[in-house]
Amino acid sequence: MRKDRKDEVSLDNCLKCTDCNTACPVVTAHPAYPGPKRLGPELERMRREGIECDTEWVEYCLGCHRCDLACPNQVNVSELIARAKAAHKKTPVRRLRDFWLARPGLLGKLNTIVPEVTNFSLGLKPVRKLMSMFMKITPERKFPAYTKPDLRTPNVVAMNKGERVVFFPGCFIQYNQPELGRRVLELLELNGFQPEVASTGCCGVPSLANGNSEEAYKRATANVNSMMEAVNSGARIVTACSSCGHMLKTGFAHLLEDDPDLATKAAKIAANTYDLAELLVAQQDAGKFNTRFAPATATLKLAYHAPCHQKSQGIGRPWYHLLRQVPGVEIEDLNAGCCGMSGTFGFKEEKYPVSMEVGGELFAAISATAPQAVVTECATCQMQIEHGTGFKAVHPAIVLLNAYATDAKQYSFTADTSGKPKDDNMPSCA
Amino acid sequence: MSNVASNHFDVIIAGAGVAGLTSAAAAASRGLRVALVSSGPGTFVFGAGCVEIQNMNSKTPSLAEAIAFFCKLTDLAGCGFYGAIDEHRYIPTILGSFQAVSLAPFYMWNGDPSASNEVAVVGIKGLSSFNSQFIAERLATHASDLGQSAAYVAKEIALSVEPGAIPGTLRFGHRYDREPRFREELRNALKPIASNVDLIALPGILGLKSGRKEIEWLERELGCMICEIPTLPPSIPGLRLFNRLEVHLRKIGVEFFLGFPIQQLLIKEGRCKGVLLETPGRPQKITSETLILATGQFSGKLLPTPSFSFTTDLRPVDSTGAVIADNIFAAGAILQNTPAHAGNAIAILTGYVCGMAAAGVGAQYAQGSQG
Repeated sequence: MRKDRKDEVSLDNCLKCTDCNTACPVVTAHPAYPGPKRLGPELERMRREGIECDTEWVEYCLGCHRCDLACPNQVNVSELIARAKAAHKKTPVRRLRDFWLARPGLLGKLNTIVPEVTNFSLGLKPVRKLMSMFMKITPERKFPAYTKPDLRTPNVVAMNKGERVVFFPGCFIQYNQPELGRRVLELLELNGFQPEVASTGCCGVPSLANGNSEEAYKRATANVNSMMEAVNSGARIVTACSSCGHMLKTGFAHLLEDDPDLATKAAKIAANTYDLAELLVAQQDAGKFNTRFAPATATLKLAYHAPCHQKSQGIGRPWYHLLRQVPGVEIEDLNAGCCGMSGTFGFKEEKYPVSMEVGGELFAAISATAPQAVVTECATCQMQIEHGTGFKAVHPAIVLLNAYATDAKQYSFTADTSGKPKDDNMPSCA
Repeated sequence: MSNVASNHFDVIIAGAGVAGLTSAAAAASRGLRVALVSSGPGTFVFGAGCVEIQNMNSKTPSLAEAIAFFCKLTDLAGCGFYGAIDEHRYIPTILGSFQAVSLAPFYMWNGDPSASNEVAVVGIKGLSSFNSQFIAERLATHASDLGQSAAYVAKEIALSVEPGAIPGTLRFGHRYDREPRFREELRNALKPIASNVDLIALPGILGLKSGRKEIEWLERELGCMICEIPTLPPSIPGLRLFNRLEVHLRKIGVEFFLGFPIQQLLIKEGRCKGVLLETPGRPQKITSETLILATGQFSGKLLPTPSFSFTTDLRPVDSTGAVIADNIFAAGAILQNTPAHAGNAIAILTGYVCGMAAAGVGAQYAQGSQG
C-alpha cells in the first residue's frame, strides 16, 4: 500500500453544510444512502482515529464528483469516499466480479480475440443467467458489442501537415467503438490537426470506481510513461470520452503524487490534455475552426446530456455550443442530472435498481423533449439512455462530422422515438 | 446571445448568490453573453432568500426598478416573490419568532399573522429539527406582541418512511419532487387539519425543484394557505430558489461554471481581460469585456488591494482612490461600507445595477443614500 497522501484535504474545511448531500444523485434515489457528507469527510475522520467504520454504502458512490462541485469550501469529498472504497472489505463474489469490472482493458483484449464468439455468448440467456448467479451481473442489460480493435494512426502521407495531437482512445473506443475513434481522427484532421493514436491502455477510472487503487496506479503509471514523449515534444493529448478525460486531468496526479518523478509527469500530462470539444472551441477562438458545413437538408432535433465527468472538467458545455452552429441542428440541453450508469455500476445486480432510479429524471426529460437522437460524449451514458428510454444516443463528434461536406460515410439518425425500452444498446457508428 | 462556441463572454460574473444571479439575469436580459462562475452555490442552503429593505431609503435610485426586475425574474423562474419596497410582512421562523421582510417567495408570503385567524403549525413525526409545539406557542406570543390575534395550534402528521431512511427535509423534498404518491399522501395527511384553519405552516419540504404549479396544487387541494418554514440546513426553500433560478438563467443563455473558484483575475493596464478558473489539469481561461464581482463578504482576496471602497457606478477603487480596473464592478455583500443587514436588498440593487452597467445601461447606485 502506498503511504498516506501528502497534500491533505483539510477536513476542517468541511462545515457540515450539507450542500454535497443536496447534489448527490444517489441521495435522491436511495432513501437509506447516508450521503457524501457522512461517507466522505466523516468516515475519513474516524479512519484516521483508527475507528472501525467500514460500510457497504461506500460501494454505492457513483464517483460523479457532483459533491466536489457543490462544496462551497473545496473539500475533495469524492476523493475521501474513494479512500473509503479502497479500504472497504468486499464479499468474495463481489471481489471476483469487481476484479474483472476494474479491468475493462484486459476484458477488451480477451473479448476481442474472436469478437463474434464473445458477442454471441454474451447475448445468450443462459450465459447471462449464470453471470447473474455467480458474478452478480444484472441480466437486465445487454452488454455492448465487442469489435476487432483496429483503430490505427491514419496514414500520414494522405494528410495535411498540421499540429500534432495524440488521441487517447480509452477502452470503449478501442474495443467497442473503433469506428467512432476513426471519426474523431477525421474530425481532428478536418480542423487542421495531425492526429495519431496513443498506444495506451485503460485510463484506470473503472479500477478506482471498483475500489482497486493498486490497479488504477498501474494503469496511471503505464499511461503516463507511454505519453511522455508526445507531450515533451509539445503535442497535446485529446480525449473523446469524458471519463478518460477527467482521469487524465485529475486522477493520474492524485494516484501518482507520492512519486516525485511520476507526479511531475502526471501534472504535465494533465496540463496538456484536452477534451475533443474543448480543443475545437479553442481552435474556434483562434479563428481556425472549420465551419465549412454542408447546407442543411432537414432539421435535426437533438437533446444534449452533459456527462458528470464532463461537468467536472470545468470547460463549460463545448459540444452543446459547437453543435448549435451546425446548420439544421436544433439542440436542447437537458440539464437533468446524472444518468445513473456510472460505468460499471449499472451492471451490478444489486445496484441496478439504484442506477435506474437515478436516471429517472433524465429519462423523463428525454421523453418530454422527444428528440431524433440524444447526444452525449460518454459511452456508458449512451448505453443507459438507450436502455432507459429507447431513444438513440450518439457521440456528438458523429453529428459534427456529419455536418461537413465531406466524402465521409454519413451516419443515419434512424432514431426509435417510441420511447419504449429497446434491446439494442449499441449506438452503431456504421 | 450569439450562436458561437467560445470562451469569450461579454460579461463574467463571479458568485452565485442573490447578487450574482440577479446581475446575470440583468445582463442576459440585455442580450449579453454571460458566464457565471462560482466556487459553490451561494448561501441558499442556509436560508430562503427573503428580502428586507428596512435599512434603506425607498427612494434610493434604481431600487424600485431593481426590485421590480427581481420579482419578474423570480416569477419567470417559477418561484415568484411577492411584496414591495414599502411593504413589511412578518414571516415565521423555525425558532417561533417572526422575521420582518419586504419581499418573500410565494410559498412563505402567507405566513404573516395579519393574513389569517387560525394557523396550524404542522410537524412531521420523526423529523427532529422541527418542534411544532414550541413554534406554535412562541408564534402565538409574538403575534400578540405585534397586535395580531391569530391563533396558533400545534399539529403533527405521520408520513410513511422508506425502509432504512431517517426522516429529513432533504428526503421529503426529493420525494415531493419525484413521487406523485408522496404528494398525495402529504395532502391526505394535511386535509383533516386544513378544514379547521386558514393557514398551514409546515417545515420546508415542498420540493427542491418544484415551482408554482406543484406547490399551488397542494394549496388548491387543501383549500387553505400554506407557508413553509425553512429548517436547519439544508433549507429546501432556499435550494429551490437557487435551482429554479439556475434553470431559468440557463434557458436565457447564461453559461455556468459552478464549482470552480477563480484562481486569478487577469488585470493588465487598468483593464480586466478575464479570469483563470481553478479547473482540473490546468486553469481554464475565460475572457470577457466586463467582470462583476459578487463573491460575498468572505472572499475579497481576488482584488490586488486588500480592502477597497467603490465609485458611484460600483467600480472598486484602491486606497489612493484610483479605480482598480475600469471594467470591474462589484455587487452584493462584497461591497463594504454598506449596511450589511439590508438582507438581500443591496444584493438585488447592486446586482441589477452592475448587470445593466455591463450592458452599457447607466443605472447608478448612489452611495450613502441608505436611510
